[in-house]
Amino acid sequence: MRTPLQALVRSQSFGAVIGVVLMLAVFSIVDFSGWWRSQTLANVAHFSAILGLVAMGQALVIITKEIDLSVGSVYGLTGVAFITFEPQYGVGGAIILALLIAALVGAVQGLLVVKGKLPSMIVTLGGLFAARGLIYVWTGGSVNNFSEAARSNPLTRLFGGEFFGIEAAIFWMIGLCIALNIMLWGTRFGNRLLATGGAQDSAESRGVRSDHVKIATFTLCALLAGFAGIVTLADKPQTHVTLGDLMELEAIAAAVIGGCLLTGGRGSLVGAVLGAFIITSFRYELIALGAPSSWFITFVGVVLIVAVIFNQSLARRAGHSV
Amino acid sequence: MMTFKGWILAATALATTALTATLPDAAMAQDGEKLRFVVVSHIGSNDPNMNWLTMAMEEFGKKYPDVEAEYISTNNYSIQEHVRLLEQAIATRPDGIAVPIVSPDAFEGPLRRAIESGIPVVAFNIADGRPEGERIPYVTYVGGDELLTGRKLGEYALSQVEAGVVPAPTRVVCASHDSAHEGLKKRCAGMREVMEASGAKFDELFIGAEPATARNTLQSYLSANTDTNYIFTVAGWSAPWAWGVANEMGLSPDVDMEGVTVLTVDEGPVSIEGVRQGHVLATNSQGFWLQGYAPLEWLYWNVKHGYAPQQDILTGPIIITRENADKWSDLVRSVFGEEAYNQQNTW
Repeated sequence: MRTPLQALVRSQSFGAVIGVVLMLAVFSIVDFSGWWRSQTLANVAHFSAILGLVAMGQALVIITKEIDLSVGSVYGLTGVAFITFEPQYGVGGAIILALLIAALVGAVQGLLVVKGKLPSMIVTLGGLFAARGLIYVWTGGSVNNFSEAARSNPLTRLFGGEFFGIEAAIFWMIGLCIALNIMLWGTRFGNRLLATGGAQDSAESRGVRSDHVKIATFTLCALLAGFAGIVTLADKPQTHVTLGDLMELEAIAAAVIGGCLLTGGRGSLVGAVLGAFIITSFRYELIALGAPSSWFITFVGVVLIVAVIFNQSLARRAGHSV
Repeated sequence: MMTFKGWILAATALATTALTATLPDAAMAQDGEKLRFVVVSHIGSNDPNMNWLTMAMEEFGKKYPDVEAEYISTNNYSIQEHVRLLEQAIATRPDGIAVPIVSPDAFEGPLRRAIESGIPVVAFNIADGRPEGERIPYVTYVGGDELLTGRKLGEYALSQVEAGVVPAPTRVVCASHDSAHEGLKKRCAGMREVMEASGAKFDELFIGAEPATARNTLQSYLSANTDTNYIFTVAGWSAPWAWGVANEMGLSPDVDMEGVTVLTVDEGPVSIEGVRQGHVLATNSQGFWLQGYAPLEWLYWNVKHGYAPQQDILTGPIIITRENADKWSDLVRSVFGEEAYNQQNTW
């Protein structure tokens, strides 16, 4: 029987846990009073939750040995749809319609990947451009306002408000992380998802419909990205057509830093959230320490490479072929 | 039976015929009958300011039916993409090009080649900021002066300090969404000049264009630099983000003698309503409508009559304050329409 420590070391999010511990140690040394302030932590946790929602969807897709480059645009399109539909359909109707759009984009991309036997990188790159183009055409360059009545609607507050002084986005991320982990590690669908990414031929020979699994996963990924867009705008509806611009890269980086291997079959949703936390924290702290904000991009690149090397070595030790 | 090669040749011939048939304007231009001007802009459908330019071009089209004016633009903040569009436009051999010089280095090569091959170029919106002899030899520049924009907004802010409307600046942050955009850099530089002269510290902060990331970045900065009491957003649409972040942090960002003061740019509904509602101290107009119209008129006069103005033609900045914001609001409503204006007011 493994001890909890042994289980942690063997877990797929171990690299991200080490990363978080190291990061917190360094921040505590260089900027203790600045970092451990409630305002700092609240800001970092809030944005980490939003990026974490998108990164979890990305992690699921990567586990199936695919990738989704469209999540930033889907996040933007869903958010814009939410704002644009609200005057006509109310907050509840706008949320449902916006999420339906996200699900449709995800399902269509999944169908094209599995039925068209097309590389997901190309299909979702097309999705990235198509969804972003739709935003431009639909809005004419400026996203509409969100009325005072809509801002104070109970549903809007449920998604974008605060509970006990903590942003709702953080609760949604934690709740969905628990639910998705149960799905991934405790249900037949989760088992099939892991099997599809790990060894697709072997899974199919055992009756797993990997095409169905992948379509469902792409849909789920788009839904999570769309949900993150709604949560963002329910809180801060003053936005722009650039909503979600380049977010796909941060989501992929978060998933990879969190232990996902692009070779499929291995990954962690908790790790993806921790990856999002690392990325957001470093952006915050680099600026707080006075570094030009564009240095952050360099940092993400370096951490990404280090994370891949570390996670691959962990995977090899765990007997995973990479 | 036709060979494969034969099919390709036939298809090519057909395509060429079809293309020629669909390009009557180009053919007419060669005959001197109809001119074709191309506006290659970085203000795309991701930017509501595009409406000013395209509406002005429509007016130009009504006055000069013998000109076909096209508007092509990038939709992201990418100089490479802009250069690519410019090169594509030059390759179609238009009778004139209007283009903002977003990056003199990147635009130098293609524009000099175009000018040398006889295509007149008018710069609009952003000039080549280098000295007269070094800059790209375009016919003229029509647009605002970005350095002046920052400087005049800063000077107005200081006048309001003297009038007891807002507090004296201690630290000013210029929040920019595009770190490579020469025009935005100059806006910051103009503001820096005035604010540093008044004794305030000044920083430029690249916040990016993605709203959540920009807020996160700005909040990081404000948390670490607690003496910041002025935020200058170099895009109108990012002013509500800056105000929102400062407001959430309890920094009292409205126009009063407390906390943070927000300054922004542009004559869009967000900027104007920000001023009218007391969230923003001032914004500016750089005469966007004229920037859509006047470059084409100068191209026309240059091609038809050989006219070339002897100096740049400034269309701004005009400082929009609480005193004149109502009139600006009426003007912009008349251009955008009442409904669009209200929808675009995201405060």
